Amino acid sequence: MPFLSNKPLYGLMRGSPFKPIQEHMRIVFSCICLIPPLFDALYKEDSEQVSDTAEQIKTLETEADKLKSTFRLNMPKSLFLPVDRKDLLSLISDQDHIADTAEDIGKILTYRKMVVPEALKELLDELLEGTMEIVSEAKGMIEQLDELLEVGFGGRELDKISKMISRVRRSEHNIDAIMHRAKKTLFSVERELDPVSVMFWYKIIDLLGRISDQCENLADRLLLFLSK
Amino acid sequence: MEIIAAYGTAMIILAVIFGLYMCWGIGANDLANAMGTSVGSGALTIKQAIGIAIIFEFLGALLAGGHVTKTIRKGIIDPTNITSNPEILVYGMLAALLATAIWLMIASTKGWPVSTTHSIIGALIGFAIVGIGPESVKWGKVGSVVISWIVSPMIGGTIAFILVMSTRKLIFNTDNPLKNAKKFAPGYIFLVGFTISLVTMFKGLKHLNINLTTAGSFGFAILFGLITSLIGYYFIRNIKEDLNANREFSYAGVEKVFTPMMLFTACSMAFAHGSNDVANGIGPLAAVYSIVSSGGEVMQNSPLPIWILLLGGTGIVLGLITLGYRVMLTVGEKITELTPSRGFCAQLAAATTVVIASRTGLPVSTTHILVGAILGVGLARGIGALDLRVILNIIISWVVTLPAGALMAMLFFFTLKGIFG
Repeated sequence: MPFLSNKPLYGLMRGSPFKPIQEHMRIVFSCICLIPPLFDALYKEDSEQVSDTAEQIKTLETEADKLKSTFRLNMPKSLFLPVDRKDLLSLISDQDHIADTAEDIGKILTYRKMVVPEALKELLDELLEGTMEIVSEAKGMIEQLDELLEVGFGGRELDKISKMISRVRRSEHNIDAIMHRAKKTLFSVERELDPVSVMFWYKIIDLLGRISDQCENLADRLLLFLSK
Repeated sequence: MEIIAAYGTAMIILAVIFGLYMCWGIGANDLANAMGTSVGSGALTIKQAIGIAIIFEFLGALLAGGHVTKTIRKGIIDPTNITSNPEILVYGMLAALLATAIWLMIASTKGWPVSTTHSIIGALIGFAIVGIGPESVKWGKVGSVVISWIVSPMIGGTIAFILVMSTRKLIFNTDNPLKNAKKFAPGYIFLVGFTISLVTMFKGLKHLNINLTTAGSFGFAILFGLITSLIGYYFIRNIKEDLNANREFSYAGVEKVFTPMMLFTACSMAFAHGSNDVANGIGPLAAVYSIVSSGGEVMQNSPLPIWILLLGGTGIVLGLITLGYRVMLTVGEKITELTPSRGFCAQLAAATTVVIASRTGLPVSTTHILVGAILGVGLARGIGALDLRVILNIIISWVVTLPAGALMAMLFFFTLKGIFG
């Protein structure tokens, strides 16, 4: 190792860590945006389109993964950040989990030719709508990180973000309620369905619910930045 | 004495060449680093930055540079033991100039963040130890200079921290940030003009035969501050909210107000640099000149000739035009993370600290103070990410620069002594 590293003075200021996080969240969001089309294809029993959409989700998930790894590699311990480095690393990995969950759903639907039970359709739609809403709220929250940096993670921006965080919380609560209803409905019709499919329907409902849980985690993580 | 009489002109020519060489190095690297911040935040184009640097570098050297030169010339070493051999001091000063210039060159090519000031002090000490004797070094004075190297970045950082906090309190964390930005911007610009001119004038223009009373200095500084803030107001009065830009980033309009304000801090930065670093570069040159022109008098007290200050400024500007603009471009491209409002705070803090140090005659490092100011902004949670390894580099380069300058100066001292003696 050289006695003095060849780091010039301007190396002092590194790129903002929030930009890649926002970039990553945008990719995660486009991943989630493909879930309603995925279910549309499923309703139409168009297996080709289902696997097509699932493939797209997978590509986006890989892209998000790559971005996450580069981000992690570019976060040496020597960085002095306005927020805790560990919180920042956890934030991006939380975001990444959302894309992972989307990919999991896509996988199940490609491997198994699932038929949507008529009784479940309406509730599934409601669940999908809720999921889209909470993820776009979470994305909006992440998009505010720039502004937060400008005001030093306090002041007026803080009120705005706190409101966004509580909105995500409320959405998560709503989705929980929809999930309960969906599971109850599924239980009431499960005798008429193929048992293995029923197992997987429970799993899919759980996975959709997990997305909103993960969004709530994101909100909690962001709260850590603010409370410092 | 005979040596001085025989080779006096040659010595002065050598000193001018070495001095120019060193100032060229300062312009190529140091000044480019300091001005790069303004280019990076989009406040200035390269051409504008060079133009500002030329004008204010000269002004800084001319108006506020004399004190530091005096410290370099007389404050570090005590030549009473060699009054009968004044040529020793001439060799020493020449050696110090050359050693610093070469060390700066090496450091620039390697990308090490070394300081001109530290190199020249190291070189002076090195020469004094072998040329006159360790007891001739005014260790107390050296100590206070070294302490100023630690304290000055801290002061710069503290001022920057306070400035960032004040912009938040007055502008960013309010209901209408843009309106408040336009309201308070002239105030901040006033601060730039007022502090810089006050510090410069306060009991300090004697070498130009301008004697101002304390009240007169204050009055003129207020006037100067008002003029700058009027010019600033002219630039920002027409800035309007751009709704498209705001959708992306809701403080875009506020940052736009700060962009022309960086023009003023860029001027003050160049001024501060001229007051401290030009003075560093020409200190030894001035010493050689005064010894030779007085026919070998070591202890005489002749005033600093203006042409030497101008020569230093010319060297720096040459360095900036030939090589420094490239450094400035690179720095500008890299430092895009510093928003205009933060760049403004950092530069204002750094310039103020440097000019204050110059007034007290302390040779400080402009670059290190700027780094301190940027750290201050970071501590106020104002910058995305700072790489502390660079700070470590600065500390290491500190430790290396003093002995490196000293050793090289010793080497050149004996070489010159051999050639002339």
